[in-house]
Amino acid sequence: MESLRVKDLCKTYIVNKRQNNVLKNISMEIKEGEMTAVMGPSGSGKSTLLYTVSGMDDITAGKVDFFGRDIGSLNAKQMSELRLDEMGFIFQQMYMLKNLSIYDNIILPAYQSGRGKGRERRKEINDRARELMHKLGISEIAEHDMNEVSGGQLQRACICRSLINNPKMIFADEPTGALNQQNSREVMKELNRINREGTTVMLVTHDMKVAAKSDRVLYIEDGTIKGEYVLGKYTGEDAMREREKKISNWLMEMGF
Amino acid sequence: MFFRILKKDLKRKKTMNMILLLFIILAAMFLSSSVDNLIAVNGAIDHFIEISRTPDFFSIALTDGKTDKIAEFLEGNKAVSEYEVINTFNLINEDITITACREEPGRTRYERTNILCIEAVPGNFMKVFRMDDGSLSLESGEIAFPKVEADRNHLHEGDKVSIRVGDVEREFVIAAIVKDAVFGSTMMGFKRLLISGEDFAEFARQEGLVHTMMYNVDYADREKFQEQWKEQNFVVLSSIETDSTIRMCYIMDMLIAVILIVVSVCLILLAFLVLRFTIVFTLQEDYREIGIMKALGIKDRAIKGLYLIKYLAISVVGAVIGFGLGFPFGRVILDRAIVNIVVDGAKQNFAVNLICAAAVVFVVLLFCCFSADRLKKISVMEAIRSGSRGERYRAKGHLKLRRRPLMKPYFYLAVNDILSSLKRFGILFVTFCLGTMMILLPQSAASTLKGDGIIASFSLSPSDVYLDTGKGETYTVDMERMLRDMEEIEQRLKENGITAETGVDMGYMLSCYTDDPKDSVTYYVLQAMGSWDRHYTLLSGREPELSNEVMITELTAEELEVGIGDTIHFATAESAEEFIITGTYQSMMNMGQGYRVSKSAVLDPAYASGMLCMQVEVADMESEEACAKLKELFPEYRIMNAEGFLDNMIGGIVRQIDTLTAFIVGIVLVINSLITILMMKTIMTKERGDIALLKSIGFCDRSLMAWQIARILLVLTAAILTGTILSNVLAPYIIGPIFAMMGATSIELVTRTPASCILYPLLLSAATGASAFLCAGGVKTVDLKEVNTME
Repeated sequence: MESLRVKDLCKTYIVNKRQNNVLKNISMEIKEGEMTAVMGPSGSGKSTLLYTVSGMDDITAGKVDFFGRDIGSLNAKQMSELRLDEMGFIFQQMYMLKNLSIYDNIILPAYQSGRGKGRERRKEINDRARELMHKLGISEIAEHDMNEVSGGQLQRACICRSLINNPKMIFADEPTGALNQQNSREVMKELNRINREGTTVMLVTHDMKVAAKSDRVLYIEDGTIKGEYVLGKYTGEDAMREREKKISNWLMEMGF
Repeated sequence: MFFRILKKDLKRKKTMNMILLLFIILAAMFLSSSVDNLIAVNGAIDHFIEISRTPDFFSIALTDGKTDKIAEFLEGNKAVSEYEVINTFNLINEDITITACREEPGRTRYERTNILCIEAVPGNFMKVFRMDDGSLSLESGEIAFPKVEADRNHLHEGDKVSIRVGDVEREFVIAAIVKDAVFGSTMMGFKRLLISGEDFAEFARQEGLVHTMMYNVDYADREKFQEQWKEQNFVVLSSIETDSTIRMCYIMDMLIAVILIVVSVCLILLAFLVLRFTIVFTLQEDYREIGIMKALGIKDRAIKGLYLIKYLAISVVGAVIGFGLGFPFGRVILDRAIVNIVVDGAKQNFAVNLICAAAVVFVVLLFCCFSADRLKKISVMEAIRSGSRGERYRAKGHLKLRRRPLMKPYFYLAVNDILSSLKRFGILFVTFCLGTMMILLPQSAASTLKGDGIIASFSLSPSDVYLDTGKGETYTVDMERMLRDMEEIEQRLKENGITAETGVDMGYMLSCYTDDPKDSVTYYVLQAMGSWDRHYTLLSGREPELSNEVMITELTAEELEVGIGDTIHFATAESAEEFIITGTYQSMMNMGQGYRVSKSAVLDPAYASGMLCMQVEVADMESEEACAKLKELFPEYRIMNAEGFLDNMIGGIVRQIDTLTAFIVGIVLVINSLITILMMKTIMTKERGDIALLKSIGFCDRSLMAWQIARILLVLTAAILTGTILSNVLAPYIIGPIFAMMGATSIELVTRTPASCILYPLLLSAATGASAFLCAGGVKTVDLKEVNTME
């Protein structure tokens, strides 16, 4: 089954009274449990694609089905519920609310989902938050302020937040873009683990190493998908060198 | 870069700058118009006193029209430079009938103030003026009414009244509504109707009438005159030194101006808070630009100048507009204040308005300089790092979400935000708190004046029914008739199956001294009369029981330097009686001065000078029912419950305070709304990233709006509670002295009323909530992609 089915997606911005077609008739599918990377040069429309298919930005024309639901037909409230319960977002910068501790930032979506009612449910949320933080190796920073931890830790906390409501799909906009190599590796390791556990992931990246860990890579240029490369499931670091080489060659072919 | 920052600031912070401008406009407008008004009204009163030829000393006494000891005393007295005796007649309700009233065609019954008399148009002293300030002259058949009396009875020029004095009845056309310097103010319970000398002579020709003589005296030697006056112990209804008394009576006319000054000072304080907030916010936003300017070597003073230019521009524009608006606004207030005063001296002063507007600019700029000093503290690196010094911030989160399971997330976020940014929300808190106090304090004064307890402050014991027979002046000279009337009322009630007791508190004008008669003071001595056995509220001691016992107001005790157990003397022309003080009390009658003797005390009835009303205490019946029954049985009398009686006594003052409170409520609602808009707009500008982030994790617009509104309402609730508590605590220190001035030295202020506990908090919440709701709608305009603008 497809997690995401996009048909003839167009996105147009009006800049200085001039129409700017950022996405042009894009059609694509992402299967359930798949990890798809979107690559392309700056200004090609990668982030716009991610934001429009995830419902964060309006579409100008076309149709986007998210697990069979046409997100264009949903009102603001339904879209909020969808984002809350079925989608997770990870941004390049580690955005968090400054006045809340790391732990409270993580559990906030769970409490907002309305599933935070009742002692049992609250225990469930706290157990899940602790489990996620433990898995991502950030248990010790739970009560810290966001300014007291490293970028890698913060991005992992953002991943925890995006996973707290067990979303069906994660949208990540250059999740390692602001991290050093070590932190990037750790974050990607977690995203792969989440994906292995069944969560569909769509990510935008400039980094070949990140793309090499995906099942499939889409190359976008000038608002259209120029090609796709299927790498298959990432099995571990052993096959990384070969996957990176394949991607590199393919991207060269695409003119990246 | 200078002008780029200035342009960017003016463009981006439109709302903030507009609200700041509004505050400065309001502050300049209120301050200039109110200070000007205060000076103008004061000047107008001086002018009025001068042109109306108000005497230095004034007294009223009843005579038979033949012998006049006071006139004899004044004639040839070297302590008197000039005097005049004016003959007048008292009128009771039955003496006046309305024969033509255009506003209420069917109206015939006349409602008068406590004391009303009729006299010829004054010639030398105490002149009156037409409403257009023209001098008054009347033809035969014409009559002039003071404004208060005309308004009370809905009478206008051209309407007709019939007046009876003794056996002569004449119809008059109202030819003028007049301003009366001495008796015109709402606080003066004595009013006079004026007719031509010819018509008055027709009334005066009758034999056997009681004449009310008014004595107007200008001193040649004040001390000597006062000494001689006291020695004489004349039987008078009242005697006053007019200048100070008149000024006191017009105090309510100046009250609006005084309260406006207080409001403008509060507005200036609030403008400071807004300024501080905007300056800090602007500096935080411009950290980077400031850093670059500093790095380029531009001096602090030059950078500060850049910001000061903006505030100078806003202050000057605001002050100029406020200065301009101050004239029409001040005129409206002034016209209200001088309705009873001749306006010639009440011209608005251009220079005063200008100085006040300039003062607002100066004070605002001074505060700007002070606030912008924090620029010096910003280092180049700190500015370039947007305020970060490089060290770790201390944790800001104060509440743990998991420990607040009952809080909705939006509510949790709101509480946590407030606790994390106490300084930021402190501005809102202080504004709301000040606003609450500005409403509750005058409201408390009005409620106290309307409250049940106030009856006791008029030296009365509360009763079921208050009855005005309209014969008060007759009773003072014929107490037997009064007692007969009281008995008759009781008898008629008894015949109708109602057991009732009646009572009157008769006032005597007696001079009183402790040791030396030369140091005597003359105030009202009250004595309970009638079958009703009642008790009075005391501050200390006990009620007088024996014929030589007296209780005394605290203010009089202070003046005479006496206390419980001491002895005082009440003197008449013939003798002086000794009384022992048994207790002290408070009274709002006669500015807190007076005494009360027991029922058994023997006082010379010749010195009786007035009573407030007759009281009826009905057994086994509620006040409303008793009033209805008495209205049915005695349609010729004016029957009132406590509320009606108080309205008759101090309704004018209460209505003035109510108007003021309504005005302040309006101002506070506007201020609260403006501050709410300002805060929400500026905070939301900084929080667009946070809002986008919350949207991205699934918060719907409704939750986000609830979060924004909850913060404001939480602060408002805390401020209203604090404001209410502070008002309750501070009321005795702020309102108490005003009541003490009127004689109620230990009054229990009414602070908890439905209006203060429900109506005003609801109004404040509704107005502030509505503004917050409108601003919170701004979350809908935040695009999810703006999450990338987060710092």
